Amino acid sequence: MTSAELIRRRRQDVGPAIESVSEPVPGKVRMAVAPGAVVSVAKALYRDHGARFLVTAGIDSREGGNGFEVDHIFSLDKDKIFFILRTSAAAEEPEVPAITPEVPAAAWAERELQDLLGVRVEGLPDGRRLILPDDWPEGVHPLRKDMKYGDWPPLGDENAEESYPWKQAPEGTSTVVIGPYFPVLEEPTQLRLFVDGERVIDCDYRGFYNHRAIEKMGDSELTYNEIPFVSERICGICGFIHSSCYCETAEEAMGIRAPRRARYIRSLMLEIERIHSHLLWTGIAGHILGFDTVLMQTWRMREPLMWLCEKITGNRQTYGMHIIGGVRRDISEECYPEILAVVGKIEQEWIQFYDAVQGDTTLKARLVGVGMLPEETAKEIAVLGPTARGSNWDIDARADHPYAAYDEVPIRVITHPDCDNWARVVVRLEEVLESVRWVREGLKQMPDGPIMASDIPEEVPAGQWGVCTVEAPRGEAIHYVLTGGDNRPDRWRVRAPTYNNLQALPSMIKGETIADVPIILGSMDPCFSCTERVEVVNVRSGEAERLDYQELLARSRAATERLRGRRGGRPWQ
Amino acid sequence: MIISKLKEALICLKAGRVTLPYPFAPHDPEDGFHGRVVVDAEKCVGCGGCAEVCPPRCIEVTDPSPEKRVLEFFLERCTYCARCAEVCPEDAVIVTKEFETATNDLEDMHMRVEVFMSTCRRCGRCYEPPTPLDRMMVTGFRPPTGESEGA
Ligand code: SF4
Ligand code: SF4
Repeated sequence: MTSAELIRRRRQDVGPAIESVSEPVPGKVRMAVAPGAVVSVAKALYRDHGARFLVTAGIDSREGGNGFEVDHIFSLDKDKIFFILRTSAAAEEPEVPAITPEVPAAAWAERELQDLLGVRVEGLPDGRRLILPDDWPEGVHPLRKDMKYGDWPPLGDENAEESYPWKQAPEGTSTVVIGPYFPVLEEPTQLRLFVDGERVIDCDYRGFYNHRAIEKMGDSELTYNEIPFVSERICGICGFIHSSCYCETAEEAMGIRAPRRARYIRSLMLEIERIHSHLLWTGIAGHILGFDTVLMQTWRMREPLMWLCEKITGNRQTYGMHIIGGVRRDISEECYPEILAVVGKIEQEWIQFYDAVQGDTTLKARLVGVGMLPEETAKEIAVLGPTARGSNWDIDARADHPYAAYDEVPIRVITHPDCDNWARVVVRLEEVLESVRWVREGLKQMPDGPIMASDIPEEVPAGQWGVCTVEAPRGEAIHYVLTGGDNRPDRWRVRAPTYNNLQALPSMIKGETIADVPIILGSMDPCFSCTERVEVVNVRSGEAERLDYQELLARSRAATERLRGRRGGRPWQ
Repeated sequence: MIISKLKEALICLKAGRVTLPYPFAPHDPEDGFHGRVVVDAEKCVGCGGCAEVCPPRCIEVTDPSPEKRVLEFFLERCTYCARCAEVCPEDAVIVTKEFETATNDLEDMHMRVEVFMSTCRRCGRCYEPPTPLDRMMVTGFRPPTGESEGA
């Protein structure tokens, strides 16, 4: 289906409710509809056209007199179309109808909209707080423009944490709390498992303990060319995908395109990043399973690649290679043989490794048939990346919405039909080999030429937009940029793949044993830190002093206040 | 089962010992590595270009008097991106290979450069075109002049 056909069909359905349609770049459609029609259009996209829900972006347009705007972003993967469904809400007491009942994947995005922009989503099945902390005051919404970056509202109810409306444990089950601090996974997340014996019956989730307000910084403090460096810090392992995605999106919004050589360099680095990320993940997975040889060996194989990154970009991680319009550093031809040698060595060792673990029955006993995620469930929750491809769903941004150089050197999408832990392992193992193939092919076809676009405008008009996805090692990331005045975006929306994948956890661990939860979640140690007490040993006297929950909380708050005072409320001053 | 274990053992044996003796033997990074930056005070003309582009904004420019401009680098926040060196029209910023910057004293990460600014009384312009500003390698968007801290 073409985008014209799609628009025509929507006009037939809800004709008079359509307020405007724009398509600045072929295949990227934004349709504004009256709030009354948004649910039926979303439903038609999802049910009739098989569109995949990506994310919702809320925009505070009260200054321009447009109240709040809410953009639901969909992708029609096989037709290579992005469809943005826009609706608006009044400036006072904003409210939009929920699409979650029709499009289940929108659950978190709509809860986030309520939290951060204060747009009430009417009819949301689960309207609890998702992102804002428990003691955040009611009625303060950080992404609204009248809240300045660095403002700290007075705290709300100090004991709110105890009254968070957790799901009730089903009859006859006990609750096992895991988190919020993990010894293995570096992200704080809290899971409450409701278990009967050792079987997990259900679970509840609370996360976002470490929200960094990067989007807020992007539309209130940073400038266009500073964002690539900050966006790269969204992820400590695959940061390059975020700066690539932001640059591709911003370039689209500004109507420029990076030169061919720059696009090849982007793709090349993205594939190198995927290789080292998958190697790292394999090591961690082995570690969680108690098989540390895997950790040692995969990380040993990975190290020369990290040195190669350092040689190409100057940094081992967070390369800082991007600015809008291209890349900052060229790859010299003398470097080509070394790149080929390093990835060649990895390929050779990886085939050996793959062959060895394939026959390892101990490993497979923990992985095969565990953590099932059937294809339909995967589609309903809209999981991404190897998690989706391990459930036999062939989505991959590199193939569906080619960016950088993937239109010229395509990638083979790897899927596996088994829908279990092992399937996800196999997808990643094979993707390493596919990435090695791409690096070879990419280097062979790498064109000569400039690495920066020459037609970069000095001023960017406000009100233009772009949307792009990039396939990260963990799944697809999406960036959405609306240009604004002041040399910075009016709104910069980012969604990383784990946002979607985490939502699939409840269905993946349902019915499994507690012992399998860590592997299913990728990496979670069942021993969790004492969240309510901490022991402080006075070094000088050697005496142990116990702090209870309230005292600890009071001390943490005092420390936060001190930091705020010192920095005048702005983290970088 | 046994065969796979043997194969796994073989991978380990073949790799042997790979750990480097660092820090007992030095391990120098490759050329082009982004280490700590230093400024050559002789070359710096005080244009402030580096401060304009530094993503974490760790370079501060102040003018205590019309003749003097002070550049302060708070390198504890430096991200080693080398943007400052890239845009400097005088090649005054040098990216060294120094990476062992861990310290107990924050002062170790501060760098202060004082530049004497002479102003031409007649035209207010110090340079024949192209001026260092014209030669600055800034491409694309930058903050409106004067927006950076202190300037
Ligand atoms: S290297 Fe980057 S972060 Fe460090 S001072 Fe220079 S511009 Fe700033
Ligand atoms: S860009 Fe170079 S010349 Fe200009 S202030 Fe910075 S160090 Fe000095």
